[in-house]
Amino acid sequence: MLKTATTVAGLCLVAGLAQAADRWDGADELAVNPLGCEAGATATVTPKPYDGGAPTGAKDLAGKEITLVDVPKLIGIGYFAATTQGMQEAAKELGNVNVKTDGPTEANIDDQITFLDNFITQGVDGLLFAANDPVAIAPVLKKALGQGIHVVGYDANSQPDAREWFVNQAEFNGIGKSMVDAMAAEIGEDGSFAIVTSTFTTPNQARWIAEMQAYAEKCHPNMKWLETVEAQEDNILSFNQATTLLNKYGDELKGLFGMTSVATPASAEAVTQAQLCGKVAVVGLATPNAMKPYVAADCVKSVVLWNPVDLGYAAVQVMRAVADGKLQAGATEVEAGRLGKLPIVNGSEVLLGAPFIYSKSNIDQFDF
Amino acid sequence: MSTASLARGSSNALGAQLKRLVGGQEMILLLCILAIFLIVGSLNPRFIAERNLSSIFLGNAYVAVAAIGMSMVIISGNIDISVGSLIGVLATISGTLAVNGYPIIVAWLAPLLIGVLVTGFMGYLVAYLRMPSIVVSLGMLSILKGGLISVTSGAWISNLPAGYALAQLRPMGVPMPIWFMVGLTILAAWWMRYTAAGRSIYAVGGNAEAALLSGISPRRTVMMVFLIHGLFVGIASVLFATQLAVIQSTVPPNLELTIITASVVGGVSILGGAGTVIGSTLAAVLLAAIGSSLIFINLSPYWLRAVQGALILVTVLADLLRRRRQARRR
Repeated sequence: MLKTATTVAGLCLVAGLAQAADRWDGADELAVNPLGCEAGATATVTPKPYDGGAPTGAKDLAGKEITLVDVPKLIGIGYFAATTQGMQEAAKELGNVNVKTDGPTEANIDDQITFLDNFITQGVDGLLFAANDPVAIAPVLKKALGQGIHVVGYDANSQPDAREWFVNQAEFNGIGKSMVDAMAAEIGEDGSFAIVTSTFTTPNQARWIAEMQAYAEKCHPNMKWLETVEAQEDNILSFNQATTLLNKYGDELKGLFGMTSVATPASAEAVTQAQLCGKVAVVGLATPNAMKPYVAADCVKSVVLWNPVDLGYAAVQVMRAVADGKLQAGATEVEAGRLGKLPIVNGSEVLLGAPFIYSKSNIDQFDF
Repeated sequence: MSTASLARGSSNALGAQLKRLVGGQEMILLLCILAIFLIVGSLNPRFIAERNLSSIFLGNAYVAVAAIGMSMVIISGNIDISVGSLIGVLATISGTLAVNGYPIIVAWLAPLLIGVLVTGFMGYLVAYLRMPSIVVSLGMLSILKGGLISVTSGAWISNLPAGYALAQLRPMGVPMPIWFMVGLTILAAWWMRYTAAGRSIYAVGGNAEAALLSGISPRRTVMMVFLIHGLFVGIASVLFATQLAVIQSTVPPNLELTIITASVVGGVSILGGAGTVIGSTLAAVLLAAIGSSLIFINLSPYWLRAVQGALILVTVLADLLRRRRQARRR
């Protein structure tokens, strides 16, 4: 039995190594589109025709005061409190927008549809939403479009033809660039790193890892990828996996990437408890609240994510541009107040821009 | 009785004891653990460096503590599949108390009390209302899991006060959870072996009617087992909650399976009446050693699931064969 086990183990080892030569573990097989190496580089956009919907018989609202309702996935959590804050900031800045946020207290698609339905009946000029389900939310959004109400999504998309525009918080190649650049800044151009992810097959994580690899090979060719380990969405397992990586590679390991909001704080905890803060860098995707203790202790320098305040701000700016007729099908960019010009991607999506890096100087301003 | 026969009797008893120890599940587990240390350690010496050994023993210490209570429940002829959810709930309660300014000792002790209340309630349903424990604990699992998600909506608990992190203390350089694991295992093993109350668990799980005839109350014994189980679940929850600087406040995935696996692979008979907590603790350490070795030999952690499953099947099969052989001998 031991012999069989060793044979199986050996075969898997060979298979693993063969794969490693090609792609980092956990990366998917789709085409990659790495950004340029310089700071603030944007992607070469492949033009795609407008695929959003259009309201029927929309009133001419150009320059007029408009009333908007925002229905996020749920209310009462820090993340959507932050998007609401951004919306209010935009409304105040524009001066001719009223926006209120209301929605279910649990991320439930049926409740969300009821809220949207009620607001359509009450009559508003525009609806903002973050969908709990891209397909199930489509009919009620189409109903709104059918009554001449403008519809703009943010954070979580619906089917494209059920809304006009969607504000996309981050593209995969943008996250990939931010992550690798932050790691290179901390461990140097020839540092070695490992990755802690949820599972090799989780779509978002696989896409990010693929873009990270493509970007690293293009812009930081001497950095060395050691290994990717899976830790599901389990706090303690993530901690144990990260600790085992530290134990396995010793001094060779200079940095850990956390690919989920569970893996990143757990990796930081592993580095902290191994007393390797300052020796092993942790860079990852995570929400600020989970990372505050490690950032405060100088154990983590960069937490990569988008800024939900900016996301809400951009959603209202986009809605205003739509109502004013300034953002129409075929546009390549849109003016968005303090965020400047935002590019249009994927037909009908407004890209928020480069991801936001949370660090010691700004993390305490966020509560989600 | 002659002195010769007395001597022979005691030497036979000693021989039987030795044989049981060497041939027993505990010895097999110990050899498996040593084999992993030797094989993986020879491939990569860092595997058996003090740092990694400490991680391995630490990694599943809370599982081992919970598996002590679980072993008693299984030996008494019952099961509790709600244990993972209960640990999630108790850890969240503990963390919530701690961040809301209650004294740390309250945050440490509350899970023990609430754990005993919850398992005591389940024990009452099982022992006195004759409900099958698998049904009772299945119901409890749903209540706890659903309730926890509804109340917390998955929000994490962070900013835990200084001094709360019990599991991060290292008295005499050894992490606290390892002290708990070893100390509680020895205590429970001694209690189950040398006290009337401890022995009664085996009697009830082996043959409840025979136990009743010999003056043991199966109801009271099952009730006692569930109460003690709650205590161990409470301790495991505190170790679980204090291991990291944040508490996830969701139910850890598959934790009940890991705990039951530790008991069963540790040689606790799923049919009741046999097994030891030393076995379940060694099994918990074995599972942690396998998990760590998978990274050292570059295998996906999903193999851990497969290996766990295979270990369960092999152990239960061996248990059944052993029982059949014994039955034939009688």
